[in-house]
Amino acid sequence: MELTKNLTLGIYFPGDTTLHCLDPRTKIAGTTGLITLLLFTNNYTAYTFFAAFALALILAAKIPLGFALRGLRPMLPFLAMMWLFQIFFQKPPGSEIIFSWWKLTATDGGLHMGTLMSIRVLLLFLLTTILTLTTSTVELTDGTEALLRPLQRLKVPAQELALTMVIALRFVPTLAEEAEKIIKAQTARGVDFGRGNFIQKIAQLFPVLLPLFINAFRRADEMITAMESRCYTGGTGRTKMKVLRMSKNDYYSWAVLLLFALMQIILIVKIAPPF
Amino acid sequence: MEYLIEFKEATYTYKSSFVDPVQALKQIDLRVKRGEFLAIIGPNGSGKSTLARHFNGLLTPTTGEVLIRGISTASSDPEQLKAIRRQVGMVFQNPDNQLISSIVEEDVAFGPENLGVPPKEIRRRVNHALAALNIFKYRRESISHLSEGQKQLVAIAGVLAMKPDCIVLDEPTALLDPFGRRQVLESLKKLNREEGIAVVFITHFMSEAVHFKRVAVMDQGEIKSDGPPDDIFTRTALLKAAGLDIPVSAQLAEELKGKGFPMAPGILHVEELVNSLCQLKSKI
Ligand SMILES: Nc1ncnc2c1ncn2[C@@H]1O[C@H](COP(=O)(O)OP(=O)(O)OP(=O)(O)O)[C@@H](O)[C@H]1O
Ligand SMILES: [Mg+2]
Repeated sequence: MELTKNLTLGIYFPGDTTLHCLDPRTKIAGTTGLITLLLFTNNYTAYTFFAAFALALILAAKIPLGFALRGLRPMLPFLAMMWLFQIFFQKPPGSEIIFSWWKLTATDGGLHMGTLMSIRVLLLFLLTTILTLTTSTVELTDGTEALLRPLQRLKVPAQELALTMVIALRFVPTLAEEAEKIIKAQTARGVDFGRGNFIQKIAQLFPVLLPLFINAFRRADEMITAMESRCYTGGTGRTKMKVLRMSKNDYYSWAVLLLFALMQIILIVKIAPPF
Repeated sequence: MEYLIEFKEATYTYKSSFVDPVQALKQIDLRVKRGEFLAIIGPNGSGKSTLARHFNGLLTPTTGEVLIRGISTASSDPEQLKAIRRQVGMVFQNPDNQLISSIVEEDVAFGPENLGVPPKEIRRRVNHALAALNIFKYRRESISHLSEGQKQLVAIAGVLAMKPDCIVLDEPTALLDPFGRRQVLESLKKLNREEGIAVVFITHFMSEAVHFKRVAVMDQGEIKSDGPPDDIFTRTALLKAAGLDIPVSAQLAEELKGKGFPMAPGILHVEELVNSLCQLKSKI
């Protein structure tokens, strides 16, 4: 079991395209805006337009298409189930029966609802994948912190949240490495991982998770001492080495996004669902 | 002359409701001057870590006091405590549990960011610290790609970026391979020589302590002796009593002296032993 190799959390596809170099605030806020728009989209024409836009983003970021789409694969079985469920159990008023089998009947309305929903979920994941592929975890946390900072007046602990995220990401490889070591040690003692029924598999996890948790608490304790020693006293009075700055390209991106949003809204309003 | 760090009859007792109180420090009197290069050695459980935690106010003495440039670490003013922690940087044993960010330069910036240093100045200090520890080329690298020794250098750079007067290191080499150990030691020598930063290096490796200009031996919560290394390591009886290993060269010289051979005093390193033996040979 090679945990450290299969770890794709926060995968970043390094590059120096315009999309990579945009201010993370632009990318995070932009993605959030696009996702909101997606939730209102309800017809095939608008979705086609949306997919074309997502494709353009992938091309602009010089990410191989297959690489970007690969992240969607684990969701496919789940999506297929949801799709079938919608086809057979959603019967919007005025829809016609297209197919019936045993006690189940499928309607055209259900088929469209299922298909539209699947496209929506796929596009949603594709958009977040584009964000994480073009933005490093450090930029992501910096951007989130900067965007949440105005909320600090409402007692939202933006700095603390961002720092928590930084530390969590920092420990992902460390803990994965440690888990791997524990698994190897347990294997040497005769535990056969991945064998047996479901209950046995769950039982096999305990001797791995328990030491991992105990060590994590010890680590956290040492980490707090180290942070105190490095003058950390909470968010107030801190400065940042990297100051985020919007460039010309960020303003252009905002213009493009607004234009796209406008056209989407027109498509959503003017075209009757589902086409 | 004003001392940088001054322990005045400091004692420390761990109290907990589950076990009997443990007196980990007994009457510690220790003074560290600017630019000193000091090693503290002692066997397991002798109170080294407890002592280390008194240098920057992580622990405050039960009785007596610890002064950093004349200011007590027991001061209740948070600004003064911050100032003390800036002046006395602390590096711990496990680099994995003291690095905060996954990117090298971001981690080094953590200290100055906490101090509210302006962004441009932070960048300058971070670059300087990385260059001083010879890890500038790894600045954009992920921490998890570095060796343990390199991680420890990042931890030292993080302290250096706060512009400290003194760096205290609690067994920083215990988890490192011999190469990493040498890297850390050489870097500290350089910082001491070129930037005049005082170094307090806690270890149980004799072979490391011999590189320092001053060595203090701790045992059972007390400082049993304190002086230049050739003084300390040739007092084999004292080291044996503290359960510490004596450097092999020193032990051999001592035993030869016991057999009546005229050995030079203060032999520590292999080269000194060889020189002394060669002189013996030429006399015969
Ligand atoms: N949190 C604690 N509570 C109670 N007793 C403690 C605590 N920490 C340390 N001690 C005791 O204080 C004494 C000194 O411990 P300390 O950790 O300072 O020694 P050390 O020289 O650093 O040892 P090592 O070489 O193992 O790191 C020991 O007897 C230890 O058992
Ligand atoms: Mg210790």
